[in-house]
Amino acid sequence: MAEKLLEVKNLKQYFNIGKPKEVRAVDDISFDIYKGETLGLVGESGCGKSTTGRSLIRLYNATGGEVLYNGVNVHGKKSRSELKTFNQKMQMIFQDPYASLNPRMKVSDIIAEGIDIHGLAKSSKERTEKVHRLLETVGLNREHANRYPHEFSGGQRQRIGIARALAVEPEFIIADEPISALDVSIQAQVVNLLKKLQKERGLTYLFIAHDLSMVKYISDRIGVMYFGKLVELAPAEDLYRNPMHPYTQSLLSAIPLPDPEYERTRTRKTYHPEDHQYAEGEDVKMREISPGHFVLCSEKEFEQYNTNYNHL
Amino acid sequence: MKKILEVKDLHISFHTFAGEVQAIRGVDFDLYEGETLAIVGESGSGKSVTTKSIMRLLPEGNSEIKSGEILFNGENLATASEKKMQKIRGKDISMIFQDPMTSLNPTMTIGKQIMEPLRKHRNLNKSEATKRAIKLLDLVGIPKPETRLKQYPHQFSGGMRQRVVIAIALACAPKVLIADEPTTALDVTIQGQILDLMKELQKKIETSIIFITHDLGVVANVADRVAVMYGGKIVEVGTVDEIFYNPQHPYTWGLISSMPSLDTQDEELYVIPGTPPDLLHPPKGDAFAPRNEYAMKIDREEQPPMFKVSDTHYAATWLLHPNAPKVEPPLVVQERQAKFHASLKGGK
Repeated sequence: MAEKLLEVKNLKQYFNIGKPKEVRAVDDISFDIYKGETLGLVGESGCGKSTTGRSLIRLYNATGGEVLYNGVNVHGKKSRSELKTFNQKMQMIFQDPYASLNPRMKVSDIIAEGIDIHGLAKSSKERTEKVHRLLETVGLNREHANRYPHEFSGGQRQRIGIARALAVEPEFIIADEPISALDVSIQAQVVNLLKKLQKERGLTYLFIAHDLSMVKYISDRIGVMYFGKLVELAPAEDLYRNPMHPYTQSLLSAIPLPDPEYERTRTRKTYHPEDHQYAEGEDVKMREISPGHFVLCSEKEFEQYNTNYNHL
Repeated sequence: MKKILEVKDLHISFHTFAGEVQAIRGVDFDLYEGETLAIVGESGSGKSVTTKSIMRLLPEGNSEIKSGEILFNGENLATASEKKMQKIRGKDISMIFQDPMTSLNPTMTIGKQIMEPLRKHRNLNKSEATKRAIKLLDLVGIPKPETRLKQYPHQFSGGMRQRVVIAIALACAPKVLIADEPTTALDVTIQGQILDLMKELQKKIETSIIFITHDLGVVANVADRVAVMYGGKIVEVGTVDEIFYNPQHPYTWGLISSMPSLDTQDEELYVIPGTPPDLLHPPKGDAFAPRNEYAMKIDREEQPPMFKVSDTHYAATWLLHPNAPKVEPPLVVQERQAKFHASLKGGK
């Protein structure tokens, strides 16, 4: 198995702690991300997938647990210079390309902000050259450098967001629903670009999305989240062939496919969390059902899943 | 089947500082009783403008219906007075918008918003309207309708809000329901529920639906017929099977190829090259020609007419002209066409 780049151990992210409105957005999840892979994270809105992404990059201070990046904890007290090194290695691409670019900054300044902060360009000439090269990498022209965000379409803006993330030469990129706001034909362009960049630069991605067919296409492994918990984690192919957790099954049965014949015969499954009927104190945790395929289940369910799995 | 709505040679322009944007450049379609017609196309292709013009919801002042007719019940809505339109909106034709977070009034209770069309169009008194509103909420699957009626939109989740919007739209049992991306803002599981709900209600109150979306998966699920729009025109129209299994227009080919199926492995996704046409200066020939790898000389000279493929299937591409050379569509499309022809031979 490849080298671990990121280890998430019992990560907890609560909001309004101690108040009646306490929200356990991320509730004790653990997973690893390997170097050079794409881990997809799916689930419905409010399940904590974006919060997970944001906690990993320290946009939130985790309530509990650890995030180890190359063996070093991301959270906890850090000096400015330590923080800087992290920020350079980890970058984020946001969902809404209309809201994530400062409308009062030129594209060149948006992209070069990271370069300036980390002192990656020695002269202004080098800075301009870097910006131009980045624009070309993401499929824009160097003439675009002097324009403002409002002059671009959604797909182009998302490319600017990608160029900004790439500017500091990161190893790991968290893409939080990078294509949800885009048209179908533009989605394919952005996904192709992300894949190409990964190949060229050996990037590692955490790809957060709710479009399941796109997630399957881009990810090596996929984690499914439900109400702050990771309920299933498996290689992409395996997850789609052998979904074990009832929530994963309901999620997969709901994907609309561009195939009228299939749509006429589909049966949609609904997930009822109360069906689990966990007894008090029952040990519900992630169990490995086949190599690399983990399911959140009790001991009893595990046996049942095991027999089901072997049937397939 | 009876036609309930006919759109004939519709031209709509927007007047901007930069000049005249010809958003709709000759759209024709019919809507039959009880069917669902899906309109697909990328942003800016004119799908929303077309449907908003049916409701006459385009901004006054800078938009103009240049020519064409929208026939509903023997009346031309394109020239109808505002007073007339107010009687039709919400009663005979109603609309569901994309974003349930913004299409409800945050300062009014749900009950008041559902009762509004009932009291205006049906002249029901308060207690009758309340009874009917409770029934409607029950119909769209909102539990405890009596208490929910007194709540405000922020007390509902996204999926529940969209159910409320549907209840409002269906309050007067409209003959035509226009749904503009009704599920785009929702999660897959919720999306499935809403689509099922719409199909079920359509059967109950026998309404026709115009469904706008850019998600081909959703189209395959809900549509009886599909119209594909590009650059302010309908470029292909047919039954859902004809469009998905036997598409003829290169733009439809591109749309279908650019979506990964669950079997798509490592190969690169197909991307339609180039950008949508600038409707400020619409091209002389086929608007899709600059992005079309199958484009011929004629495509740049003259706009293609609608060629007939079957009684229900038409496409505007010169490739269907008898003198056009035979071309091989993309592999994904060939596979689909093979299945289609096999099923035709199988006597289906």
